[in-house]
Amino acid sequence: MPRESLAGEVTRGHPLHAPEPSGSGEHLRVVLGKKRFDAHDVGARYVMRKLVDAGMEVVFIRFALIQELVDAAIQEDAQVISLSVLTGGHLVLAADLMDGLRAAGLDDRLVIIGGVIADEDHAKLLALGVDGVFGPGSKPETIVTFINEWFGTKS
Amino acid sequence: MTTEPELRSDAGLPLLPFYGPETGSRRGPEALGDPGEFPFTRGLHATAYNRTPWMMQQVLGAGLAEQTREIMDQLVSEGMEGYFGHKVFNVVLDNPSKGGIDPDWPEAKGHVGVGGMSLSHLDDMRRLVKGFPLESTNFSIITGDTCLVALAMYVVAAEEAGYTPDQLRGNSMNWLLKSFCVDNPDFSPRGAQKMAAQLIRYCTQEMPAWNTTNFSGYLIREAGANAVQELAFTMAWGAAVIEECIAQGLEIDAFAPRLGFQIAFHNDFFEEVAKLRALRRMWATLLHDRFGATNKKSMQARVHVHTAGDTLLFQQPQNNIVRVSLQTLGAVLAGVQSIHTCAYTESVEIPTPEQARLALRTQQIVLHETNVAQIADPLGGSWYLESLTDEVEDAAQALIDEIERKGGFVGAIESGWVKGQLVDELVKKHDLIDSGELVRVGLNKYVTEEAPESRPARFTMPPEIEQEAIRRITEWREDRDQKAVASTLDAVRATALEDGYLMPTVLDAVRAKATQGEIMNALKDVYGWGFVTN
Repeated sequence: MPRESLAGEVTRGHPLHAPEPSGSGEHLRVVLGKKRFDAHDVGARYVMRKLVDAGMEVVFIRFALIQELVDAAIQEDAQVISLSVLTGGHLVLAADLMDGLRAAGLDDRLVIIGGVIADEDHAKLLALGVDGVFGPGSKPETIVTFINEWFGTKS
Repeated sequence: MTTEPELRSDAGLPLLPFYGPETGSRRGPEALGDPGEFPFTRGLHATAYNRTPWMMQQVLGAGLAEQTREIMDQLVSEGMEGYFGHKVFNVVLDNPSKGGIDPDWPEAKGHVGVGGMSLSHLDDMRRLVKGFPLESTNFSIITGDTCLVALAMYVVAAEEAGYTPDQLRGNSMNWLLKSFCVDNPDFSPRGAQKMAAQLIRYCTQEMPAWNTTNFSGYLIREAGANAVQELAFTMAWGAAVIEECIAQGLEIDAFAPRLGFQIAFHNDFFEEVAKLRALRRMWATLLHDRFGATNKKSMQARVHVHTAGDTLLFQQPQNNIVRVSLQTLGAVLAGVQSIHTCAYTESVEIPTPEQARLALRTQQIVLHETNVAQIADPLGGSWYLESLTDEVEDAAQALIDEIERKGGFVGAIESGWVKGQLVDELVKKHDLIDSGELVRVGLNKYVTEEAPESRPARFTMPPEIEQEAIRRITEWREDRDQKAVASTLDAVRATALEDGYLMPTVLDAVRAKATQGEIMNALKDVYGWGFVTN
């Protein structure tokens, strides 16, 4: 008898005082997901703050099942779907996420993963279709640049 | 003309280039006391570690009970000991077991037995404790929200092995009121406060030798706090739980002696020692002045130190051996009762047997080879340390006063204020690391290219663990009286709703073979599950 994920497990970050990203004409929308029972939030919180400072709108969701992250991406019409994993199991989560996104027709969205991810897993994640992997010690400015360049080249 | 650099502690406290009689502590001798005397600034015992060394309480656990027993056996054979040479175990559960998720539920997929042991039903606990002399073994179980259920499983498994609850000694984490620091959707702060007191209520009546609570500055620190915030929020957490225990009718001296702490030892060496000394003084004063405790043991803050995982780096992981050594030395100089030394690979995952041995050896080397453990509070009387102890205490007290002005700790959690303080601090700290102003050796200074083959060995586990856990719990659910399960779970809900005496109903549910996930769902129905702070 697993329980439903409950409302109220979402934290929103709005770029109240931040400039809009150049050229896009609106805020980039990011959903940032973390497994509900992964207690580590320092990395996700820090990245969230920096993305908001860089002019993005971030919805931070703690999910029980990866489908909830996919659903959040649909509801928010997110251009960026990001996953924070510090408990291991990132290969399983990433595979399920990519399946879910394909099924929802969101193949074209930017997908990035960060957390405690060993070097040898980076190539495996990229092979699954993840666009960017940010391991321990990555600077948020690297992530911001990665996202902006992605949309700069795609638009 | 150059200006002198501004000197500050890690928490931002202003420092002087040197200290002397004029700039040491401004307080009188009564603020220190001798070791073993109120207010215990200088430690709980005048005998230092000569009567017994601290407990070497290494966190362990992975896979199912069998794999966890292998790790326990290994560490016992390596000399891991508690007080007076008794066995001590500090078993950590996997994330599903910490959060009330059974291994066969979809949310658990990929996480069963990862980073801790899967504990989903009574038979797991039977396998874990089988054959140990439980009257002398100190058993801690690191739970998240499942504190009451895990304790009930331990009590029932012990009963079946012939022990009565009053013979059992160990430690519940009782980490329920933790949503302000740990970012898991959680029980509401008010519900968590009630449940924490319910656990203490049961142990006070039935398990007098059991340490009920481990107020965890460690969790707070790992969520981004500095030393002052860690101290202040830990004190506020403790006071909030005590208030609820008193509201549930408990006498302060009946339960306070079994409250304890888990505190981080971080990088700023003297500030961390000062923090631990200030914690003992503040706790003793709080218990005596505010709660009217008269039993000396009520006022003694027993502290387990967990070396700070937050300080360990993924880059050049062997450097972590040095960090952990310094932190272990600091914890011993601060006179704590128990220590977990992180393995140098804890920044990545749980250790291999060799890595776990090295972490334990770190404590054994400090104990036997440095000669620092013979004398209580060997750093006491240092002008700098005594001044810093005062400064850390004053800053923490100012923060506690601010919480009081905001209407108390539970309200400050509900409003998100406490979490906001932690997030602001973590952003500030990581900005300093990113800019290189705060040096992290191997990360932002002295960076070297690391060949993949130089990376440490990784812990591995048989891949069939998850399927085996699912097989076991499926079989367990099939072989039980379903009506008895349902009625005991109803009793848990009904008792919780009316704020009745909860633990006996949880014990009945365990005896009726309810699983941890099922019992947790009953509790989640009542205590406001799903709370998060923004």
